[in-house]
Amino acid sequence: MNVGVNSARLNLRLEGWRSRLLLTVLLASFLGLVGRAAWLQGFHAGFLQQKGQERYSRVIEMPASRGIIRDRNGQPLAISTPSESLWASREDVELSAEQSRQLASLLHMDRKELDQRLNGGRGNFVYLKRQVPPEVAQQVMALKIPGLFQQHGFHRAYPKGEETAHLVGFTDADDRGQEGVELAFQSSLGGLSGARRVIKDRAGHIIEDVESIRVPRPGKDITLSVDARIQHLAYRELRNAVAVNKAKAGAVVVLDTRTGEVLALANYPDYDPNNREHLSGAQLRNRAITDTFEPGSTMKPFTIATALEVGKVTPNTVIPTGGGQMTIGSNVIRDTHPATALTVSEVIQHSSNVGAARIALSLPSETLWNMFTDVGFGQTPKLGFPGEAGGRVRPYRTWKPIEQATMSYGNGISVSLIQLARAYTIFADDGVLKPLSLTRISAPPAGRQVISPQTAHEVKDMLELVVKPEGTAPAARVRGYRVAGKTGTAHKVSGGRYTNRYVASFVGFAPASAPRLLIAVMIDEPSGASYYGGTVAGPVFSNLMGSTLQLLGIPPDDPGSSAFSVPVAKPTASEDT
Amino acid sequence: MKPFTTPRLLRSEYDMTLLWTVLALLAIGVVMVYSASIASAEADRHTGYRSSYFFVRQMVYVAAALVAGFAAFQVRVEQWQKYAPVLFGAGLVGLVLVLIPGLGKEVNGSRRWLSLAVLNLQPSEFMKFFVVLYAADYTVRKAAFMHSFKKGFVPMFIVMFLVGFLLLREPDFGALAVMTAIAAAILFLGGLNWRLFVVLMMVLSVGFVLLVVLSPYRFNRLIWFWNPWADPFGKGYQLTHALIAFGRGGWFGVGLGGSVEKQLYLPEAHTDFLMAVIAEELGFVGVVATIALFVFLVWRAFSIGNRAASMERYFAALTAQGIGVWFAVQTVVNMGVNMGMLPTKGLTLPLLSYGGSGIVANVVALSLLLRIDFESRQLMRGRAP
Repeated sequence: MNVGVNSARLNLRLEGWRSRLLLTVLLASFLGLVGRAAWLQGFHAGFLQQKGQERYSRVIEMPASRGIIRDRNGQPLAISTPSESLWASREDVELSAEQSRQLASLLHMDRKELDQRLNGGRGNFVYLKRQVPPEVAQQVMALKIPGLFQQHGFHRAYPKGEETAHLVGFTDADDRGQEGVELAFQSSLGGLSGARRVIKDRAGHIIEDVESIRVPRPGKDITLSVDARIQHLAYRELRNAVAVNKAKAGAVVVLDTRTGEVLALANYPDYDPNNREHLSGAQLRNRAITDTFEPGSTMKPFTIATALEVGKVTPNTVIPTGGGQMTIGSNVIRDTHPATALTVSEVIQHSSNVGAARIALSLPSETLWNMFTDVGFGQTPKLGFPGEAGGRVRPYRTWKPIEQATMSYGNGISVSLIQLARAYTIFADDGVLKPLSLTRISAPPAGRQVISPQTAHEVKDMLELVVKPEGTAPAARVRGYRVAGKTGTAHKVSGGRYTNRYVASFVGFAPASAPRLLIAVMIDEPSGASYYGGTVAGPVFSNLMGSTLQLLGIPPDDPGSSAFSVPVAKPTASEDT
Repeated sequence: MKPFTTPRLLRSEYDMTLLWTVLALLAIGVVMVYSASIASAEADRHTGYRSSYFFVRQMVYVAAALVAGFAAFQVRVEQWQKYAPVLFGAGLVGLVLVLIPGLGKEVNGSRRWLSLAVLNLQPSEFMKFFVVLYAADYTVRKAAFMHSFKKGFVPMFIVMFLVGFLLLREPDFGALAVMTAIAAAILFLGGLNWRLFVVLMMVLSVGFVLLVVLSPYRFNRLIWFWNPWADPFGKGYQLTHALIAFGRGGWFGVGLGGSVEKQLYLPEAHTDFLMAVIAEELGFVGVVATIALFVFLVWRAFSIGNRAASMERYFAALTAQGIGVWFAVQTVVNMGVNMGMLPTKGLTLPLLSYGGSGIVANVVALSLLLRIDFESRQLMRGRAP
């Protein structure tokens, strides 16, 4: 102890009241804190908790699973499986060269693209890849890359791929229908997403599940009228025919003549709905429904049916055909097989333009127009399908004689393949026209009598002649069955002029004694050895009808025909227009 | 206080209750720092996304603080008094060094850290302790002049003005407030003329008001603290989230680990706003328990001081009570800020908040408090301290 401290001690006097006062003030402050805490945590807590809810409670959407699309026998054509979307917060992502390599290989992306995703672009949020299978997403998450997250959803898969592509269509990344049945039945397939209230942290992760606001309502399943087996056959035949005939495109429709159900609907070119990169518009088009074409001779039966219906002719009435040539004003109509006269049945069998035109000109234009309209031409078939085409039938008041004449054999009028197929059901079903259906129906719907049963039978008999050796389409015969049908070969119109490109078609049904199936085939721009409907579309019909009849176990109605041989296509022997 | 009538105190050579209180506070701190920092550590690139980043460091800091505290306990109070001016001078040098670019590290707009090879030091945390020592020594040395404005008050005022100037350059307004309170309280306890003290209080009040009004950022903090809900997503963001944490905690808390506010909503959850996380997870009960531990600590510091005073160990007495004032003021200000009673300061919760310098300085100071008590007990037993 030094002197300074001693002298200080003499003067220093720590007064007790000072420390007591100070301690009291300090303890009072602590008491104030306790009081404030009680106010905040007890009495004011409700308000504060409410504010907290506003800050971090969020409503999140619970995706509803989409309905399954099945064929008429329950085979799945479109199913939803759980999938993950991988997204990244660009600011937080940090990955080593090794992780980057692993990530790229797991996601089947190249490193450049991956790098572009993570470092290019604006904003912090970026999808690395959407619709990733859960097991792949799991492997990716196992890399434990900071800033990488997954989001649950559903992936739409199409087990039949190309075969049903145009019919079933597809959905977009947000699970909404974009094409085909997926779009047509979006409202019932799509279901209703649910909602939950959750608490999220500031980075957006759910840390607490509070309550369910709305339970997700899954979409309804749909059973189509289509039979996947017939669809498979139709697709195979069509693809084969397009290849053999070096055609641009083609379409096939198979109908159940008794119910109006669509049993198959195939188009080519096609695409894989499971991998839709690099799609072109041509691949996407559902030609059978959205495209129209000038049908050509497949229209003749409707012209003849009109004349029979009004009693103008009978099947045996002889029509003068002027040596295969007829002049109307400055226009000349020609037949490929000149004859001086043909019966009405022979007009169909040999597909005589002059004969059809002469019959058409003997009828009032309004009567003809009524027939065309009655069987559905010029109106959309109301399948509920996206982009359905209605075709074009000009008002009869504007018809000039030459137009009425050419329309009788299918020029100057446009139809879609499915319209044409439906119209032909009147000859298969005693003159009754039924609505078409894409979904399976339990009982045949009510139809409308368009022509009398007698007329229908008479035309059917004529159509049976078409596949006889003297007809235009012996290649469309089916072993063991009676077949009725009609060929069509039409020049394509481009810029208002007829070109040397063709659309070859065939529409027919079987068994002719008690029709069950109707098949319409259209081949666009065949450029192989032949371009005639009988030789190009006929064999497609024959093969498909034969295998489908067998598949469905429909008994043959012409067992005696089993010995015939399918003649090789000879354009000179069987021509039509 | 009549220590001689309390035989309990003689049972042990040390104040075990105080020691356990300090250890309890450190333990709560480690647990709550871990709980409060998991989410932010996991989301932060600087921590390498390791959730235990702050927890591990806090453990290391506490261990280092206990080692430092054990060492400090071995130093006799006499030595502390002898070296008080030297330590104070060293502290001043530290406050100057942080302001030198290259040496001082800037975080969130403040230069408070000295970047040394392996660790960052925060001189202002140690300076609080040195101010206690210096003010106590000063008061003892100037005991004769405690009634004089010129000789008793002005020298201390000038020294503190220098400290304040350096601290405001960082800026570290909170540390300045605490040091000013410590110095003023020790002068007051040392018998500073009460008229002088009133003048001092008035001058300080005017000074602080001027500092606030002249600095837009402090002025804004003051404004928004009055009504944080006027701009809850802007200036009132941090405070409203702290208040929500208290509200969510309710009486009994949402449970350890259950805080939502710490999930990146509440900034500085593991440092300045640790109390809000305690309030949310442990509720009013946890808040009162924490406050009770601090109250006991402060009360004990004053008792130890009074006993030392009764033994005419004036430096020891003023140091003990100065440490009590330090912990009380810093705790009250920190909690007051958390509860929206005071504007945001940037002060940590002693012993609990994350931070190495703070914990080491706190534990060393409390070791000295225990040492003062230890020497008093030795003297009562008739031994030399």
